Amino acid sequence: MGSGKTTLLSKVLSAPSLSNTAVLINEFGKVGLDHHLLRRADEKTILLGNGCVCCTTREDLLRTLLELLDEEGRGELPTLDRVVVETTGLADPAPILFTVFSHPVLQHHYRVDLVISTVDAVNGELHLNLNPESIKQVAAADAIVLTKTDIAVAGAADALRVRLYGINPSARVFEAPFGEVDPDELLRPAANPYEPRPPGANPEGADPDTPGENARHVSRTHSTSLTFDGPINWTAFGVWLSMLLHARGEDVLRVKGFLDVGETGPVLLNGVQHVVHPPNHLEVWPDNDHRSRLVFIMRGIRSDELLTSLEAFRPLVGAGPRLLEANVPL
Amino acid sequence: MCVLCGEFVSQLHWTDRHVEDQARAAGSWGTAGDYQRTRRRDRYYRAKLTNEVLRFYGLKVGDWAGSKYVLRDGKGRSELVQNLGALWPAAQKLAGRPIDPLDPALQAAMCEAFNINAASTSKG
Repeated sequence: MGSGKTTLLSKVLSAPSLSNTAVLINEFGKVGLDHHLLRRADEKTILLGNGCVCCTTREDLLRTLLELLDEEGRGELPTLDRVVVETTGLADPAPILFTVFSHPVLQHHYRVDLVISTVDAVNGELHLNLNPESIKQVAAADAIVLTKTDIAVAGAADALRVRLYGINPSARVFEAPFGEVDPDELLRPAANPYEPRPPGANPEGADPDTPGENARHVSRTHSTSLTFDGPINWTAFGVWLSMLLHARGEDVLRVKGFLDVGETGPVLLNGVQHVVHPPNHLEVWPDNDHRSRLVFIMRGIRSDELLTSLEAFRPLVGAGPRLLEANVPL
Repeated sequence: MCVLCGEFVSQLHWTDRHVEDQARAAGSWGTAGDYQRTRRRDRYYRAKLTNEVLRFYGLKVGDWAGSKYVLRDGKGRSELVQNLGALWPAAQKLAGRPIDPLDPALQAAMCEAFNINAASTSKG
């Protein structure tokens, strides 16, 4: 089938800044990747007792990442700057994050930089309609690359951007005609948690949704962007969010953003279902807007349910939520 | 590895990381005593806030040996948990009902409890 992922990967890896990169692929024989350090990973997982799919260890990945550390330590490999883990078309990114964050050795030697999801501009809408896994990949992404925009019909890429924004307004979207994308731009960390709204995106703002509208859409994955009316208590917020993820973690596909916790800089929060990145407390804010900005990507949970919950927890959290945008994917 | 319980102490839950990350960022751990005191204060505070929610389920959490939390139901049952990640499933088991911040019944109970507190504060 070819989503254009391999072409993209080989072009991105050809950048000089990415020469010290190892690539974990799921099958050999892929064109254009021969000159890189390649390892094969076959996506075997260990399921933990609690049965939660996102909190599984990718056994193959664990073994390979440890091997790379070993070989680098013994001088058998040049210093690695980056490992790119390629996944199969419908793979869930959460186990990869879990594997790195939860392992006592890996968590000190590797940092998850970003999740990149590819969406085929020709078949993308169809995939999103038919495959919940592809929606999960969009939700988990920090960057989304639209492939095959060179052969897609006119307007397809723009329509996809609107659809993707509705699911995940925090992801940076790149177009890669002929697999071409600027690798340094792609890998550059985003300065702020929201992307500019694409033309045609029509989020519902501060006006409350009518209950009927909301109910119709809630089974589909949708995003809610909110702020708080003051600095929040980070410890209390952790109590609330860990409680939410316990109860509904499977349905909270993503939590991402900057939180004003009354310090000199924000806390960067980034979670994919039950798997939460180690939060990053920044020294300073990236720009002059020092308000919290948090995106929730959920299914089966209404925006107003989330806001009501946070409002009830206001005495502990210290500030109340304010809706910025509720996106309903078209 | 923790010599008391044999577990990897590097397995920090994301809610527990701030104290350790701050110490690392400062480039030093202060004295071992400073770090331990900060960590203990952080843990006590987390337990106190968690109890503000757990009380609606008839549960209470306390520090255990400075390294874990002990969850009690006030009827003699207790369970040791490492962190907030492990706490909620254990609390749900002890409470015998789902623990969910989206639950309107919990929210109603919290609003009532906290509004009453707020009212008495403003009168006083």
